[in-house]
Amino acid sequence: MAEMWISMGPQHPMTHGLWTLKVKVDGETIVDADPELGYLHRSVEKMGERRKYFMNTTLTDRLCYASSTTWTHSYVLAVEELMEVEVPTRAQYIRTIMLELQRLASHLMWAGAYMPDLGHITGALYFWRDRELFLNLLELPSGSRLLYNYMRIGGVKRDLPDGFEQKTERILKLFEQRLDEYADLFENSKIFRMRTEDVGKFTGTQAMNMGITGPNLRGCGVKHDLRVEDTYEIYEEIDWDICTREAGPGYSDCFSRYMVRIDEMKESVRIIRDCFKKMPQGPTMSSRVPVRASGEAFRRTEDSRGEALMYLVGDGSDRPYRWKIKSPMFTTISACPHYLKGYKLADIPAIMGSIDICIGETDK
Amino acid sequence: MTLFGLCKTMAELTAEKFIVPVLEFQRNLFPPFSYPAGDLADWFASEGGIVTLAWIYAVNIAFAVGMTNLILVIHLERKIAARIQDRRGPMLSLRAFRELGEDLAGEAPTWRFKGNYSGIGIIQNMADGIKAITKELIIPNKADKFLFSMGPIIFISSSVFLLVLFPLSDRFAASAAPAGLMVIMAAFSIAPIGVLTSGWASNNKYSMIGGMRSAAQLMSYEIPLLLSMAGVFLLAGSYNPVDIVEQQREATWLFGLPMWNFIPQFIGFIVFMICILAEVERVPFDLPEAEAELVEGWTTEYSGIRYMLFLAAEYIRGFAGAAVATILFLGGWAGPWPVPPEIWFLLKVYLIIIFWIFIRWTVPRIRTDQILELGWKKLLPLSLINILIVIFMVEIYPYFDDIVNLPEVF
Amino acid sequence: MNFKDLQKELKAIKGVSNLSLIRQNVIKIDLEKSVSKAFFTKLKEDFYFEHCSLITAVDNQPDFELVYHLSCLSGELTVDDTKMSAMIEVHIHLKRDSPSIDSVSDLWFGANWHEREAFDLMGIYFVGHPDLRRVLLPEGFAGHPLRKDYVYEIHEEEW
Repeated sequence: MAEMWISMGPQHPMTHGLWTLKVKVDGETIVDADPELGYLHRSVEKMGERRKYFMNTTLTDRLCYASSTTWTHSYVLAVEELMEVEVPTRAQYIRTIMLELQRLASHLMWAGAYMPDLGHITGALYFWRDRELFLNLLELPSGSRLLYNYMRIGGVKRDLPDGFEQKTERILKLFEQRLDEYADLFENSKIFRMRTEDVGKFTGTQAMNMGITGPNLRGCGVKHDLRVEDTYEIYEEIDWDICTREAGPGYSDCFSRYMVRIDEMKESVRIIRDCFKKMPQGPTMSSRVPVRASGEAFRRTEDSRGEALMYLVGDGSDRPYRWKIKSPMFTTISACPHYLKGYKLADIPAIMGSIDICIGETDK
Repeated sequence: MTLFGLCKTMAELTAEKFIVPVLEFQRNLFPPFSYPAGDLADWFASEGGIVTLAWIYAVNIAFAVGMTNLILVIHLERKIAARIQDRRGPMLSLRAFRELGEDLAGEAPTWRFKGNYSGIGIIQNMADGIKAITKELIIPNKADKFLFSMGPIIFISSSVFLLVLFPLSDRFAASAAPAGLMVIMAAFSIAPIGVLTSGWASNNKYSMIGGMRSAAQLMSYEIPLLLSMAGVFLLAGSYNPVDIVEQQREATWLFGLPMWNFIPQFIGFIVFMICILAEVERVPFDLPEAEAELVEGWTTEYSGIRYMLFLAAEYIRGFAGAAVATILFLGGWAGPWPVPPEIWFLLKVYLIIIFWIFIRWTVPRIRTDQILELGWKKLLPLSLINILIVIFMVEIYPYFDDIVNLPEVF
Repeated sequence: MNFKDLQKELKAIKGVSNLSLIRQNVIKIDLEKSVSKAFFTKLKEDFYFEHCSLITAVDNQPDFELVYHLSCLSGELTVDDTKMSAMIEVHIHLKRDSPSIDSVSDLWFGANWHEREAFDLMGIYFVGHPDLRRVLLPEGFAGHPLRKDYVYEIHEEEW
């Protein structure tokens, strides 16, 4: 067969959203690739300039359907930096718990979406079954299952309900058992490793240059996590570790990215338990929340998919003058010709699935 | 009483009581134009006509049995897959209809054994069939229309042909060809032509790649498949399924245990099971219709009943593959007395199919280059080793047996 | 390399003004447009800023302002015995009638699509960019919607 362009998307099982990946194949080997975005562009930044600061949390919720609270939190942090609001300690603990629950739900969503990419439909149902548990938990304080709108400027919407700690502990225990069970089905499976090892390799230096952050960067062995390196909320008081992969088999490839996320889920469980242990009593909302702001501020947070950066410019009115969202997936997708080249056509779902695409945040 | 004998009796009966009198009546109706009816009446009274009629009956019975098994296999796959995935699977049943009707009429359902709308879901297959038949048949604008409709015909007819070729027991067989298994394998290897045809004619790049993958896969797996079967043919000295099963029934092992072929030819059995899995294109070897990257591969552009028949034909091929494995390696219909041999045969076939279903829902799909590497570099040498072992068993071991009085093993 | 040394060295570079610390680990500087390419090359080669976090264009009517957020992820830059990663925020002012600047996408590949997005939504031209097309809006879209003088009513085509 001669070289030809294949257009994967905008409706294709591989894309996990709405974008097009044009690949040039020689037989089954990928020669070139060209990603295209914009099918889901809602101009969130422009809409945000027309709304008041506290109204924008509904928009940030809708940035990513799999991980909405983390995005709202990133925005709220930036606004608090801009307005110089102090958040009560209990609210910080509650935020950390919610962030980690959301990270668990998001990683489970990813794992469930990744398995059908490899032709393993049972895995999808197993992981999504577990995601339901965490959605139930997130529903208890916030009242909704997908778009929570729980983080508010200056604190959180309301305190945790009664019995939340016991319910969480029960679910975390069940979840840990299940993760151990899944080890035999996935990471110890010969065929799973055949599909994921030595596929989609890039080194840490390349990844930093291409703008790849988060679990994908940690899969290359770079010990980088913004929860530690640009610390926010109470992450520095909590006892936890950054998950990376050591050099060896299953390093800086799809398998390492899978394993980093599985390890991160275990770390998230640790963080939530420690939070409950150390959580003080007190108010959950700051007493002084201004409406207007001026100047400029930015905060970056460790989203489920990498570095999320919110840059805000205020002009003294109650609406942001300029609001810029940095999505980790935006640059990761842009670099896909680099890490797709030379692999087989069947590797495209394995690679593009392993970097955890969310088009909602990417197209803004 | 064999199946064919039964059919012959039935054919004699129907010819004598029904067909010949009707044709005679037509001949006597208007004597100057008695030519077709009269000749037909003479023919049905002769031996040739009765044998032909018996063949038609036998083939139809085998077809009906195969199609029933097809529905059962599909239903089994759905229910087992559902249980593996922590779901309940299809639950549509006649009782569910009744409950639905009562609900719609505003009455509370009266049948409350297991909650509402419960059942084992066997008529879900009927619902799916109705859905497939009533859907529109779409032919893409720039497709090669003749080849586009020929592809499914080749694929499906060669698959349905398989149903009449394997016997359920030495008495329940539609076909008694001496080279029975060779004919089955020949029918198996027609299908890639249909796949390639439909993949090419769809005028779709995904279909094209899927068809190419299918052709490459089936070609590279045909050779180890036939080589692993060759061991069994050598041992039995025949291509006939009945002879092969008879040989396995008579062979005994330690303490008089039956020695079916998978014991002496374990390597061959493993190679055969992997190859037949690739031959019937089930997970982990279903690359031609990989839904993740090729969007169902060579069936992308097909819709409605054509797509449904592709699906059905794949299940028929799976059933036939399991039947061939049973005949060759698991002793066919051999089994203890009180259970009839046909039931033994089907039990073994379903055992293999359930094993396949478990594999399908627990492993990911492997990659094209990996599957070809496995076929050429690993399975081909293994099947050759298996043939060497069989040659040693058949040709060399008996001489040792004469000299050193070894225990009676083979 | 320590963060304090970095600040001293940055002050010495020509074209850098208004150096200040936003947080413990973030430096903010203003930069002249003419020296931008040489400065960014120096940042990447000598000061270990190997990751381009974000390129933002702000329409400070009448002029534009470009904000570069660059960060060091590998831990080569240390911030006073903490684990924090260093970051630098570079502001560059552009004239409204000629909103163009040298592209940095050959230094950081991650800057490639950020520059495309700034071109797409704000109309900043990056000289030397390999593939300066629209990225979020469709080809042929009229105007740059994040500019403050963008008028909705004249762009009523269906997309």
